[in-house]
Amino acid sequence: MSERDAGGVREAARAAVERLVGASRLERALVSVVALVLAIVVGIVFVFVSGFFVPDAECATPFLATPVGLFCYNPFTVFYFLVVSAVSSPFNLAITLQATSILVLTGLSVAVSFRAGLFNIGTQGQMVFGALASGLIGPWLVGQVTQGAVGGAVVIVGTVAAAGIVGGVYGAIPGVLKAYADANEVITTIMLNIIASGIAFTVVSEYVNPGGNIQTEPLPSWAMLAPIVAPPGSRFSVLVLAGALVGAAGLWYLLNYSSFGYDLRVSGLQPEAAAYSGVDARRVIVATMTISGIFGGLAGAAFVLMAQGYWTDGLPAYGFDGITVSVLAINSPAGVVPAALLFGVLKSGTIGFQTSPYVSVPPQLADVLRGIIVLLVAMPEFVRMVGVRAGIGSLGEEGVTAPPGGDDADADVEVSPND
Amino acid sequence: MTESATARLRSRRTVAGVGVLVLLAVAVLAFVPGDVTSQLDNVVLEVGFLSATIQAAVPIALAGVGGLYAEKSGVINIGIEGLLIVSAFTSVVATYFLTGTVGDRTAVWLGFVTAVVVSALFALLFAVICIDFKADQIIAGLAVWLLALGLAPFGSTVIFGQVNSAGVPVFQRIAVPVLSELPVVGPTLFDAYPTTYIMFVVVPLAWYVLKRTPYGTWVEASGEHPEALDTAGTDVRRTRYASVLVSGILSGIGGAALTLSSAGRFIGTGATMVDGRGFIAIVTYLMGNYNPIGTFLSAMLFAGMESFQIRLQQLGIDVPAALIGIIPHVSVIVVLVFFGYTRIPDRAGEHYESGDE
Repeated sequence: MSERDAGGVREAARAAVERLVGASRLERALVSVVALVLAIVVGIVFVFVSGFFVPDAECATPFLATPVGLFCYNPFTVFYFLVVSAVSSPFNLAITLQATSILVLTGLSVAVSFRAGLFNIGTQGQMVFGALASGLIGPWLVGQVTQGAVGGAVVIVGTVAAAGIVGGVYGAIPGVLKAYADANEVITTIMLNIIASGIAFTVVSEYVNPGGNIQTEPLPSWAMLAPIVAPPGSRFSVLVLAGALVGAAGLWYLLNYSSFGYDLRVSGLQPEAAAYSGVDARRVIVATMTISGIFGGLAGAAFVLMAQGYWTDGLPAYGFDGITVSVLAINSPAGVVPAALLFGVLKSGTIGFQTSPYVSVPPQLADVLRGIIVLLVAMPEFVRMVGVRAGIGSLGEEGVTAPPGGDDADADVEVSPND
Repeated sequence: MTESATARLRSRRTVAGVGVLVLLAVAVLAFVPGDVTSQLDNVVLEVGFLSATIQAAVPIALAGVGGLYAEKSGVINIGIEGLLIVSAFTSVVATYFLTGTVGDRTAVWLGFVTAVVVSALFALLFAVICIDFKADQIIAGLAVWLLALGLAPFGSTVIFGQVNSAGVPVFQRIAVPVLSELPVVGPTLFDAYPTTYIMFVVVPLAWYVLKRTPYGTWVEASGEHPEALDTAGTDVRRTRYASVLVSGILSGIGGAALTLSSAGRFIGTGATMVDGRGFIAIVTYLMGNYNPIGTFLSAMLFAGMESFQIRLQQLGIDVPAALIGIIPHVSVIVVLVFFGYTRIPDRAGEHYESGDE
């Protein structure tokens, strides 16, 4: 193919991609919003139904007593307190923003790979290794510097760099396996998540703290990211949020205004067109997975330096939540920020309402809602249909004000099994 | 590339893959202290090891054969991990609630049936999403997994107050008269849990149906050339629904085998007790090149690694348990690197729109 032809194909591909993206962007954003509303409706029904399975002895104040049994949970109270406890006090708000900052990072990690058409599920493992690197390098650096602001800054910068590098390398592995051996990245990354936990557990339990708790040495408070605007004692640093937002802006720029970002997007939308226009698919895959891994690793550093102070077994599943954040954000860096905030509320709300005397729903509700959201966003056709019926005109030709019949039917079946 | 060149490349990679697996095994043995290496003969050649391996293979092989049918028909079901989680959980819950009213033995069987039904319903949901609502199959499969990963620990906490369930009664082993008296073969094959016998029926049956019946041909065509199937007058949509349902039923049996044939409870911490077996199952049918028998043999390989590491721990061998625990997962990656080229059905992952509509 001559230079000229290649250029022509490239132009045509670019035009096709822009058309595809431009036309569907707004619609897909709307689908996300409707899916979210639907998820809440389904969540309300789900919470109500699951209240039926609470052992009666455990249920002090049933929401509804029926001939078939007690329905323990009031779903409206649950969702009300979920939101309220996420924002009600400066301290709780700090927890929400702490989760949000980390979720922006994991969300970006997933988003960059999904945009390239790579289903990278490995953010969790990359985060575990990033956190482990932080938990090992951090205390070592503490021993090398003198206590103080400068020393603290050195520890933090060094730790963040180490976590980013470790995450990037760990992310590159499935990239290389995909690019050079065609090994399915969904499966390799899931396996690498399990492997990361196993290795981290072994390293810490055998070499770092044998016979003790499965955790690394805690960082002194001067070597952690201090709460600057948040109340003292809370574990949120605005620096992490700022860093995460810079990351989002940087990724947005990279995707939309660099030739690498263009190659990445074309690879995701039309791999054949990408190959025609001379994109080196292998290089794009490895580079994308490395970037994804760096974000995952940084999320681990953020967790250690801001929230926990050390690596511990059983890190929160921010990596898996990142999948939901990214899917909800239609894999756009700009969308990741609001989606992460929403999920931050969900995370902190489900933890926060544990202290409320009115709510006794387990905190795993957040994980159930995570699944429901991905499920609904996964089927835009369904959401579009419901959206049209609910009268959101731009999702279809004309708004029809009938209630979403399919959904009601589902609810009936679930609520009254006698029917 | 010509056909024969591809075949040659393929066999060379297969040889290389097996070689690497052997190397991996040697590397693991190198970690084992010397005085223990002498015991290893006993570990692997023992009858108990073989029957433990067969039992560990049940969930993987059944889920693998199920996933094979779905993918052959054109629907990549990456959510079988979720189906295993859901059925493992519901089998325990149903058994738990029934055991007081109908007695242990009946409760276990009803728990088993409930698990299969619920898993099939989840598969049906997945089928609707993928086939009728044209969802991206990978995202939808992930959604099924994530949903199960949330639902089971949530449900367990609601019912049992914690993510791990209470203990429930389990299946009794069934010894086949006379045959179970045979040396070696007897105790390994003919004194087993019902789910193990089900596997031994399902695997050859799945092979027969796929290779020798019209339905098998439809499944094949639905994944390779749906237009041809459509033209020939068979409903592509229905074929795909049926195949996804097969994956749901078989995963349901597999998930219940995990709880009702061994653990006797549901463990919901981390990746739950299913711990990636659904994803390993996907690798078994890739490795077995979409042949149910090959899938079963691959499942035996992974199950062997699993029971090997459990065996090492039981013997109190001083190797970090968490490190040995990842052997099967490392092997999955090795296998994928060498068998990942397996040619997937031509139209797997794509939505098919019938011309009639």
